[in-house]
Amino acid sequence: MITTEFLTHIHLFSFPPHLCLSLTEPDCGRKQKLAEIHQALISDPVDIETLRRAAASKGGLLTDELRRKVWPKLLSINVFELPHKPGRDVRKNHKDYNQVVLDVRRSMKRFPKGMPAAERAVLQEQLIDIILEVLKGNPQLHYYQGYHDVAVSLLLVVGERMAIAMLDTLSNFHLRDFMDPTMDRTKHILNYLMPILEQVDTELHDFMIRAEVGTIFALSWLITWFGHVLSEFKHTLRLYDFFLASHPLMPIYLAATIVLHREKEVKQTECDMAMVHHLLSRIPQDLPYELLIGQAQDLFDKYPPSLLAKRAALQSRKSLSISTFQAFQRSTLHQRPDSVLQRLTKAHGSDTSRHGLEAALPRDRGQLWGRGNRMVKMAVWGLSATLGAAVFAVAQTAMDWGPEVLLQLF
Amino acid sequence: MAEGGSSVEFSSSLANSNLPPPRTRIFKIIVIGDSGVGKTCLTYRFCAGKFPEKTEATIGVDFRERLVEIDGEKIKIQLWDTAGQERFRKSMVQHYYRNVHAVVFVYDVTNAASFRSLPAWIEECKQHALGTEVPRIIVGNKCDLQESIQVGTDVAQQFADTHSLPLFETSAKNPNSQGEGNCGGGNSDHVEAIFMTVAHKLKSQKPLVLSQPAEGSGGTINLSRGRDDGGDGARSWACSSC
Repeated sequence: MITTEFLTHIHLFSFPPHLCLSLTEPDCGRKQKLAEIHQALISDPVDIETLRRAAASKGGLLTDELRRKVWPKLLSINVFELPHKPGRDVRKNHKDYNQVVLDVRRSMKRFPKGMPAAERAVLQEQLIDIILEVLKGNPQLHYYQGYHDVAVSLLLVVGERMAIAMLDTLSNFHLRDFMDPTMDRTKHILNYLMPILEQVDTELHDFMIRAEVGTIFALSWLITWFGHVLSEFKHTLRLYDFFLASHPLMPIYLAATIVLHREKEVKQTECDMAMVHHLLSRIPQDLPYELLIGQAQDLFDKYPPSLLAKRAALQSRKSLSISTFQAFQRSTLHQRPDSVLQRLTKAHGSDTSRHGLEAALPRDRGQLWGRGNRMVKMAVWGLSATLGAAVFAVAQTAMDWGPEVLLQLF
Repeated sequence: MAEGGSSVEFSSSLANSNLPPPRTRIFKIIVIGDSGVGKTCLTYRFCAGKFPEKTEATIGVDFRERLVEIDGEKIKIQLWDTAGQERFRKSMVQHYYRNVHAVVFVYDVTNAASFRSLPAWIEECKQHALGTEVPRIIVGNKCDLQESIQVGTDVAQQFADTHSLPLFETSAKNPNSQGEGNCGGGNSDHVEAIFMTVAHKLKSQKPLVLSQPAEGSGGTINLSRGRDDGGDGARSWACSSC
């Protein structure tokens, strides 16, 4: 049958193993970290503190395979109860539809270099769908240009259905302030930047005040978690590990460390708004990310938002992301490991009516392919529905990234 | 700005800068218009001299500049490329209106909605106290896409006349496609000519806009009356064929 043929094809295209993002790390440290992460994942309840530490510490979550397992835990998402793949009507009657399509269709740089155009086109259509799906489910949220940069970073790692779940949670918590009808709350968050600089380097701070540079140079850093400005996807992923495990204000602390890191350059620039904005908004691509992440964490510990709020007359209660963060963190504390979740999900609902398709992270391979069959049938429908080679191409890429993603693509 | 925190505010470099480099004056031009009309392409085209391979959504404000020579004087033209999405312009972009020397409104000739947005942009500009003394022009972009044109030149020209604004139609992608509109200098690059025309205009009216002493203003093109200029002004730049 076609389905098995399709499977065979996928098998034939077996690509190199998962991307390793921390080749610089000594192997033993890496092995130890892998073991720790696995142990944390199977603990009951899941050892979320260890996972957070691992995501923030050197090398982050190491591989995309681990990200697919740890990211949902960091956001308290049950991978066995993922949202459905969006239907066709997701594109109907949404006020942000045109803007989303416009931004996604021209967001080519976000996709891996060398990805065939047809493959990218399929992912772009998925990207439109997942964004609109989340927006439709949350009428209080408003699309902003840059939201698509966050969504694509998730999509490329975890696939369509888990990306919807993650984006939904992030939108209601970490990104919440950016999704108001206006950007007043976003400006408020940006206002934390200068007080941090003031604490560390008064001279630099005063120079920037004199230049009247403002903070808009850091706007895209903040609202896309740097996804918009970094050309290497591995760097974006490393930062996403960090931010997913951190306080919603952490991107501002990282922004501060980047400015501080370039302190000499800044001070040597003409003290002029345009010149300083120009310099800072163009982010060097060879930043020492591990170092900066560590520094951002230190700055956060030393000058927490509450302290800055007092000193700088910033009112943290204005920020929804900040005010809901504690509750969000509490919600992550009592998660069951996937093995238990899977059992519970099965026992709880053979009524697939609610969650429909099967889980995204089956326990073993045999089961994976068994379950995969229905997905593959859908894939074949996809093939006949004009996408053809493009869908197939995506399937190949997904195999490159791991079978879990393949399941979620369809 | 009334509602903004001080750290996100912007103001012009020009009047306030404590150390303007001698002899190099800066003309600050803000480029605004709906999302996707080609603001980034136009500014890139002028500053880098070529059409960008791919551009993405502009988040916040981007900045490009180019040094030009006008009547023997070196002048820095600073283009502020802004985000088109309304939420940005309401909260962020407004800070950039302060002390700009000229405004370029951009619409997409293949997108009627972007043309219909112009009154709102013009109105917003007025609210930021940028009145008729600040040179403003309208640019209809993408006129290389002949087969998808939704905004005819006559309609656009009528609108421009109503507002006493010069109209240019061009294509950032293929600025030479009209094969006309030469400025007498043999340069048939529309995008180049458009921004240079604004620069000339600024140079000629410098005493009004800039807080620096005036110089001679020979060779400038008066754009403030659009249509009345006849062959010498904006109309000659309009792309009559598309």
